[in-house]
Amino acid sequence: MEASELWVGFVGAGRMAGGLARGLLKAGKVPASNILASAPSDKNLDAWQELGCRTTHCNLEVVHRSTLVFLATKPHTLPGVLEEIRPAVGPYHIVVSLVAGVTIQTLQRLLPPRTKVLRIMPNLPCVVQAGAMVFSRGSNVGDEEAALLKSLLSSCGLCEEVPESYIDIHTGLSSSGVAYVYLFAEALAEGAVKMGMPGALASRITAQTLLGAAKMLLETGEHPAKLRGDVCTPGGTTIYALHQLEKGALRATVMDAVEAATNRACDMAKD
Amino acid sequence: MSVGFIGAGQLAFALARGFTAAGVLAAHKITASSPDTDLPTVSGLRKIGVNFTVSNKETVKNSDVLFLAVKPPIIPFILEEVGPDIEPRHIVVSCAAGVTISSIEKKLSTFCPTPKVIRCMTNTPVIVREGATVYATGTHADVEDGKLLEQLMASVGFCTEVEEDLIDAVTGLSGSGPAYAFTALDALADGGVKMGLPRRLAVRLGAQALLGAAKMLLESEQHPGQLKDNVCSPGGATIHALHFLESGGFRSLLINAVEASCIRTRELQHVADQEEISPAAIKKTLLDKVKLESPSLSLASASKVSLFTSKSKKN
Repeated sequence: MEASELWVGFVGAGRMAGGLARGLLKAGKVPASNILASAPSDKNLDAWQELGCRTTHCNLEVVHRSTLVFLATKPHTLPGVLEEIRPAVGPYHIVVSLVAGVTIQTLQRLLPPRTKVLRIMPNLPCVVQAGAMVFSRGSNVGDEEAALLKSLLSSCGLCEEVPESYIDIHTGLSSSGVAYVYLFAEALAEGAVKMGMPGALASRITAQTLLGAAKMLLETGEHPAKLRGDVCTPGGTTIYALHQLEKGALRATVMDAVEAATNRACDMAKD
Repeated sequence: MSVGFIGAGQLAFALARGFTAAGVLAAHKITASSPDTDLPTVSGLRKIGVNFTVSNKETVKNSDVLFLAVKPPIIPFILEEVGPDIEPRHIVVSCAAGVTISSIEKKLSTFCPTPKVIRCMTNTPVIVREGATVYATGTHADVEDGKLLEQLMASVGFCTEVEEDLIDAVTGLSGSGPAYAFTALDALADGGVKMGLPRRLAVRLGAQALLGAAKMLLESEQHPGQLKDNVCSPGGATIHALHFLESGGFRSLLINAVEASCIRTRELQHVADQEEISPAAIKKTLLDKVKLESPSLSLASASKVSLFTSKSKKN
């Protein structure tokens, strides 16, 4: 199936759905006119119309007029939505759920048998096409569909297929992980302000520092410990600062955070 | 070439043992002296065939390379005593923590215009030929003198030249390092025992694990962080354990330790440079013994000699 012939639908039109759509459009993967999004109110749909996408209040319409259907509702509304669209779902549909905590097993149970179902966990920076996404396939999905999804979503950032058990870990690492970075960024800037730098400048420099460090990690492929060592001149400023971070057991705290978020994701999925 | 040790304690024994085991020096070419003949290391030295004497002067006469293997507070006494016997051929190697080259050169220059002084920081595993040694050459020590010492020390482990200002940091890291390792090993063994291993086996396995890890690191191009990752399978035992270490601030404790040892070394050196400390600060029996063997030293001159106030016996 050629991506340009693809009709893509979004059930739910919130930030995450919008981010993915933006990515598809920016990469020229799918023409805007081929994208249809539904939402109960107009609140979110304006942004889609500005992009040139089509919008509707009818979920069924999205399913009727799309081959690739993204489910992007809140977890508590999903069961109702699935019940609603189930009659319209056929064997040619590819259903991709972005809904946190809803397992492939649940999705397959609530949709017709033999439906091609995939589950994806994105993160917020998808909205600026620098996201990290993992997806898993259901029992009826073949390599072709998985490859199609991966190729489409790579326009929004890193996109990898994983066993479903990794999805909760991805939540703890990267979906929630973005918030840890924001917290760290805030603290860095605050430190600079304490030392006398104006806040706005400190924030801009902080963001660029994080961006640059991440870029080096991605582009050099070096181990972060090595890159850290490269920055530490003997007896210099960096090693003094790192000592402070170690004293505060930053590493363990971060590990605790990832663990807590992952466990919470697991618990929520069971509900 | 003959080697002499002023002092016949742990350091002299470890080095003599290492040199002879390495075959770089025959035991009869080594002389060691100490006023205290009761030290357990004295009989150890005798057993390996080292010439033992109570006369420091004799050691100096019979050596080309002269190791000052006494505790830092004793160094000034020794220099006063053997200074007159130091000749241009001698290479004086001080292993005393915190004692600067300039302080030694200053003392010796009253006797000898151009004393060859090298300052060295080694550690106890020289005894099993896995020592870590650095040295810095003094004003009148030539490149060949440094290389000669390097050859000797390389026979008992790793040896490299450094700038003198780094030696305190080396003390903190590899000088004291074996003590950190012994502490870790003791605790690791406790962990093994807690989980059911017999003590001897636990100690043996713990030591081998650290030895093996160190060897891997030394032979690998990889960063220790990478080597650590290689051991941690996802969700496995090791990563769970490491999380505990991180929670306890393991890394920062080690950084703190190296820093504390280095800073203390500098403090001791500072105190030494002050030059005016009463002999009462030294353990009396030690002072008596030293004075017994140094008739040239009067009480008056002893009180003007620079000393450490430290009670610490090791690096």
